[in-house]
Amino acid sequence: MKTRQLLFTALAAGLIGASFGAAAYDADWKRGRIYYRSVCTACHAAQTGGSIAPSTMTMAQWESYLKADKHAAGKDSLKKYIGKDYRASIRAQNKAADKFADVPDAELLEDVKAFVIKGAKDGDAPASCS
Amino acid sequence: MKTNRSGPHASFRRAALLAVMLFGSALHGGEVLAVSKASTADHSKFKELQQSFASGPEVTRTCLICHTEAAKQVHATKHWSWEFLNPATDQKLGKKNVINNFCISIPSNYPFCTSCHVGYGWKDANFDFTAEQNVDCLVCHDTTGSYRKLPGLAGHPPYQDTEIPPGSGKFAKAVDLTKVAQKVGRSSRDTCGACHFFGGGGDGVKHGDMDSSLAAPDKELDVHMDATGLDFTCGTCHRTSSHDVPGSRYTPVARDTQGAHIPGRADDSLPATCPACHGQAPHKGGGHAAKLNDHTDVLACQTCHIPRIARGGVATKTSWDWSTAGQMGPDGKPMLKKDEAGRVIYDSKKGDFVLGENLVPEYRWFNGEVTYTLLGDKLDKDAGVTRINRLGGSADDGKSLIWPMKVFVGVQPYDPVNHTLVTPHTAGNDDTAYWKNFGWEKAIKTGMQVSGAPFSGEVDFIRTEMSWPITHMVAPKENAVGCAECHMKGGRLEKVGGVYIPGRDANPLVDLAGWLMAGGALLGALAHGGLRILRRKS
Repeated sequence: MKTRQLLFTALAAGLIGASFGAAAYDADWKRGRIYYRSVCTACHAAQTGGSIAPSTMTMAQWESYLKADKHAAGKDSLKKYIGKDYRASIRAQNKAADKFADVPDAELLEDVKAFVIKGAKDGDAPASCS
Repeated sequence: MKTNRSGPHASFRRAALLAVMLFGSALHGGEVLAVSKASTADHSKFKELQQSFASGPEVTRTCLICHTEAAKQVHATKHWSWEFLNPATDQKLGKKNVINNFCISIPSNYPFCTSCHVGYGWKDANFDFTAEQNVDCLVCHDTTGSYRKLPGLAGHPPYQDTEIPPGSGKFAKAVDLTKVAQKVGRSSRDTCGACHFFGGGGDGVKHGDMDSSLAAPDKELDVHMDATGLDFTCGTCHRTSSHDVPGSRYTPVARDTQGAHIPGRADDSLPATCPACHGQAPHKGGGHAAKLNDHTDVLACQTCHIPRIARGGVATKTSWDWSTAGQMGPDGKPMLKKDEAGRVIYDSKKGDFVLGENLVPEYRWFNGEVTYTLLGDKLDKDAGVTRINRLGGSADDGKSLIWPMKVFVGVQPYDPVNHTLVTPHTAGNDDTAYWKNFGWEKAIKTGMQVSGAPFSGEVDFIRTEMSWPITHMVAPKENAVGCAECHMKGGRLEKVGGVYIPGRDANPLVDLAGWLMAGGALLGALAHGGLRILRRKS
C-alpha cells in the first residue's frame, strides 16, 4: 500500500514538475520564423511553387490547422516536419534544420506556432513572403 | 505520524519526489535555462511591471526606477535630438534640419515623421526634449515583435485599435504595453529595422542595402547577419555605449587606417567599420590573397564584397518625381499604379517612382566628408542637378577610398524666386496638407512658415541627387566582385578617375615602356642562352 502511495505521489509530482516546465517555456517566435522560412517555405516553394505566407490565414485558422496536425491535405502529420527525425534527415542540406537539430520537438512546434500566429492576417505583424 | 515523516522512509520519499519533479521540469526546461544565460533579468518578475499601462510614458517612468541614467543617456544621442553639428563644416544637420529627395522634410509633418523617433509626443516644434518620460524604451528593447508606432501618432503606439489609414477599414491592434514591458531585451535586427528598414516611406525605399529581408537573412544576403550562421545583430558592429550608437551618416569613417580593435587597447573607440574587426590585411595567405590586400589602399571593402544591392527580394527606389503628383484616377480620386511585379510606380500623393532589385551600385571616391544643401542655400536650376549631399573625396587626398553608392535621383519642389529648396506640409488631415488637398502653394506656405523660412508663393520643380554609401548586404566571398569586372573596359569602375586600372586604362607611353621591357627581357634571355650554347662548344 505504501509503495503504491509512493508511486502515485511520485507520478503526480512528476507531472506537476513537467507542467511547471511546460508553462515556463516561452516560445521563441524568431526561431520559429527562421525554421518556418528556411524549412517550411523553402520546401513549399521548391516542391509546390506555392506561397504559404503566415498572413494567408487568420490566427484562428492557424490554431485550427496546427491542432488538426494534418499536412499535405491529410496525407501525413504536420508535426513530422518539425520533428527531430525530419530535421536530421535534411540537416546536411538545410542550415536551419542543422542549427536547430537538437531543439525538442514540442518547443520548436511552439516556436513555429508563435511565429505564424504573430504573422497571421489578423496577427500583431502580418508576415508576407517578401 | 511525526515519527514516520522524519524517518528513513520519509527521507526516501522526499528525495524521490524531488528527483521526479526535477526530472519532469528538466523535460521542458532546457530552453529556459539556455535563455537565462543570455539575460540576467526576467522582467516579468518585476512587481513594477506587473500592472496595466495606459501609455508609453507610463512604461518609461517605470523603467527609469531601475535604469536611472538611461533617459539622460538617450537624450545625449542623435537618435533623440535628430540634430547634429558637423564639426568639419559647421552645418547643423540631423533629421530635424536636413532636406532630402524622398519625403523631403520633417517640420510641419512632425506627427507622421516622428513615428520613427525614439520618443513620445513630438507633434510640433514645442516638443519637450528634456522630459525623461518621453523617451521610448520599448521601441528599441521590444522582443515580442508586437510593438509598433503608427504614422500620425507623434511617436506613440496605438493605445486602442486604430484604423490606418483612416477610412481604409484596416485596423492596427492596440499594443499590449504590459506584455511588451515584461519582455524587454536587447535591441535586435527587428527593432532597429522597424525604422531603418523603412526609411523614405516604405520597405527598402531609401537605402538599398537595408530592408526587411535583413530581419532573418540567409548567408547569400549577408554573411554576418545570416540567421542560421553568425546571426549578427545591428549592435554587433554598431557597438553601442551608453545608448550612443556609432556609425554616422553625417561624418562616416570612409577610411579606417587602424588595425583590428582589440578590447583593452588604449584606443577604446568603436568604429562600425570592416577593419575594426578584419584589420588592414583581411585576406589571409600569399599570392592572390596578398594581391587582394594590395587593393585595400584604394578600395573600400564594400566595393568588392557588396556586388549588388536590394538582393533580398525587396525593391529599392532609385527615382522619385514629385512633379507628376496630383493626377487623379478616372473616378476623380487619388490613384495608385503598379508595375507587373505589383510595386507601386505612381501614387497621386507622391508622383512617379522607379524601383529596382539586384542593382549594381555606382562607385565614387569618398573621404567621409559630407556637405548638405540646406534650407536657405541658393540653387541654380540651370547649373544641372542639385546635389542634396555632396560627398568629398579624390584619388590624391590620402583619405579617400572608392566606395559603392546608391545614387538616388529626384525631382522635387523648390522656390524659383528665392532659389531655395522648400519644406512642404505633406502629411495630415488639415486643409493645407498636400496629401489632403493636392495644392502645392498652400502646402509649401504652411511648411515654410513652420520652418521659419521665406516663400515667394511660386512653385517650380528641380532635379536633385542624393548619394548613399553602401555598407550592408555583404555577400559571401565566393560572390564578391571578380577581378575582371573592374579590370576591363566598360567595367564597374569605368567612371572612376584618378587611378590607373590595368585592363581598363591604357597609356601609350606606359604600354611602350612595357613592351620595350618585355622585348628587352626576351632578347636578353635569347642572347644569354645563345652565348651559353656557343661557349659550351668551345
